[in-house]
Amino acid sequence: MAERADDRLLRLLGIVAYLDGAGPVSVADLARRFGTTPAQIQKDVDALWVSGTPGYWPDDLIDFDAASIDRGVVHLTEARGMTRPLRLGTREAVALVAALRAMKATGAVQADPARSAVVESALRKLTDATGEAANAVDVRLAPGGDRQVVSAISSALTTRHRLRIRYVTSSDVVSERDVDPVRLHTQDEYAYLAAWCYRAAAPRTFRVDRILEATETDVPVQDHPGVGERAAEIDFAALFAGGSSPLATIRFAPRARWFAEEVPVESVRNLPDGDFEVTLRVTNPGWLRSTLIQLAPYVRSVAPAALADDVAGAAAEALALYDAGHRPGSASGQVTDPQTRDAATSPNRH
Amino acid sequence: MPIDPPPSAQSAPPSAQAPGLNPAERLLNLVIALVNTNAAMTKQQVRTAVAGYADAPSDEAFERMFERDKDMLRALGIPVVTVGTGGHTDELGYRIDQDAYALPSIDLTPAELGVLSLAAQFWQDKTLQTDINRAMVKLRAAGAGDPSADALAGLAPSVRAVGDAYGPLMEAIEARRAVTFSYRAAYNGAVLTRHVEPWRIAARDGGWYLMCFDRDRQAPRVFRMSRIESRVRITGPAGAYDIPDFETDVMLGKAHGEIRQAVVAVRPERAGALRARAKPVPDGEREAYSERLPDLSDASAGGRAGDQAGWDILEVPYRSLSGMASEAAGYGAALVVLEPEAVRAETLRRLTAAAALGFGTGAQAGAPRG
Repeated sequence: MAERADDRLLRLLGIVAYLDGAGPVSVADLARRFGTTPAQIQKDVDALWVSGTPGYWPDDLIDFDAASIDRGVVHLTEARGMTRPLRLGTREAVALVAALRAMKATGAVQADPARSAVVESALRKLTDATGEAANAVDVRLAPGGDRQVVSAISSALTTRHRLRIRYVTSSDVVSERDVDPVRLHTQDEYAYLAAWCYRAAAPRTFRVDRILEATETDVPVQDHPGVGERAAEIDFAALFAGGSSPLATIRFAPRARWFAEEVPVESVRNLPDGDFEVTLRVTNPGWLRSTLIQLAPYVRSVAPAALADDVAGAAAEALALYDAGHRPGSASGQVTDPQTRDAATSPNRH
Repeated sequence: MPIDPPPSAQSAPPSAQAPGLNPAERLLNLVIALVNTNAAMTKQQVRTAVAGYADAPSDEAFERMFERDKDMLRALGIPVVTVGTGGHTDELGYRIDQDAYALPSIDLTPAELGVLSLAAQFWQDKTLQTDINRAMVKLRAAGAGDPSADALAGLAPSVRAVGDAYGPLMEAIEARRAVTFSYRAAYNGAVLTRHVEPWRIAARDGGWYLMCFDRDRQAPRVFRMSRIESRVRITGPAGAYDIPDFETDVMLGKAHGEIRQAVVAVRPERAGALRARAKPVPDGEREAYSERLPDLSDASAGGRAGDQAGWDILEVPYRSLSGMASEAAGYGAALVVLEPEAVRAETLRRLTAAAALGFGTGAQAGAPRG
């Protein structure tokens, strides 16, 4: 794809301003610095060489030392006054400042004084340079879980040590695992630890707020190629995808809108009365049951019937506990299904 | 807005309008000319003297080209200022004031630059990534060294995509201009056209919110951006309003959520995630809750009345009543809310609604699951 004119202009001006301060620089280093190819740097230098002030006589033009170019070194000899780096535009400053402020508030940065100091000083220098603080965008990420847990994870990431963690799954099962931490990824409301899990003998992603305990060991981590690469990190679609899993269709009242916004679903249908209907693959029945109970006041209908009964059954079982523990006149009076009472008085089934 | 060119011209590459130079090189020559000019250049001088502009085939084409180039430069942070040329004409002159666009010296350490590079990965939206990449090119041009990623090794913070509304909303906030869009209300699902004065956009708990003054309601309002169903159109003139000082969380209603404590009974080994932030109620205080505990005495052999065996009594901090009640309800029969009454009632409301969802076909209470 052709590069946009404004992006190229930015680099052309950047090259001149940089070289003016830096002296001769190799084509390869320039390419790395400006994130482009050596061939593109050559084209940029060719373009700069014929640019200048109106008249465009030799003395009007930006100039380079020709002998250096032949050796692959760019040596600026005339900048035509274009020596000042550009200030950051409002949008650029907003994007940087908002990201840094959000990073500063994450548990992983807060847990480590050295990290906090670096983020803070970068932020201060940036706001000094851009003037008035950019308040147009305000991002706050997840607090990121228990302080001790986050602190152990971030220390292990720095020292490259193995971690021992106690983890509870979304199905409420607790396990102990040894993991080699690769990356702590904070996204929106949750932080995730990408790691090599020795118990699973595979890469795994753990939600940090579900890590009950984390202890740094003194065992160095091993290399596990491919683990925690950014692209593979939190693929929510993949977490929920499951071509062969059964489909469920749920109709919600408008107030449950977030379900359609935050859960990867197969389809959303907006209905004329404001309700909406989602179809999704049931890959994690425990999670879906729990979520539907939470949202129940806004759930109009659930299909298939077996799923609806599963949700209703779990809720009735819980209601019976309130009934059993409370005096007459409580909300529990609404539950009259004898089977539910049986469930409540039967021994703990867990 | 200039009149659109005929379709054939529109689809042609920009270089077709200026066969001599590509747009980036024309812009470069314009910047150099306007920075180096003694006082200012008139449009006519730009057209005849600056490389690339003489190729404009007509007055209209030149005007369009020059206006577009000025807009592009402004977007890059290089404002072209307009000055009177003085003397006997009222013709306008143009120049670029280097002091107005120069980056003040910013001496970044490798570690700080590494932090900024990480910020570049923070955004998922292409438009924000472009903004950050431009900022990084400028900072690299200012001579900053090579970034070191050591300081934040292994950290990868990011925020979910804002969406297409970001561009126009930022533009509106910057220029204090009103916007209009159609919005799906959460309380009844109706889609209505809104007219608002944007103040700020914020991300909290996985959602993006627009904080603004709603002209239809004549009151401050918060809109969830994922519910904006149309393009955001900038409608009003610039400088149409002031943005007040306010706290994002106060406006979003979070500051009111002080930390409170709920007391819950939890089955041993269950509700692990909730346990992570809970603490046990001291032995001496457990008796106070015995009346509300499910009485399992007739099922557990030899249990005395009000036996609390089989339950851990925990104190759990919470901010949001509905959040706490949802979490509690989601654990089903593994957890019973004991206090406060408001959380208990909200939990019961969810459980009662959920219990009514069933059809009574086969899968019944107590059926194996998991």
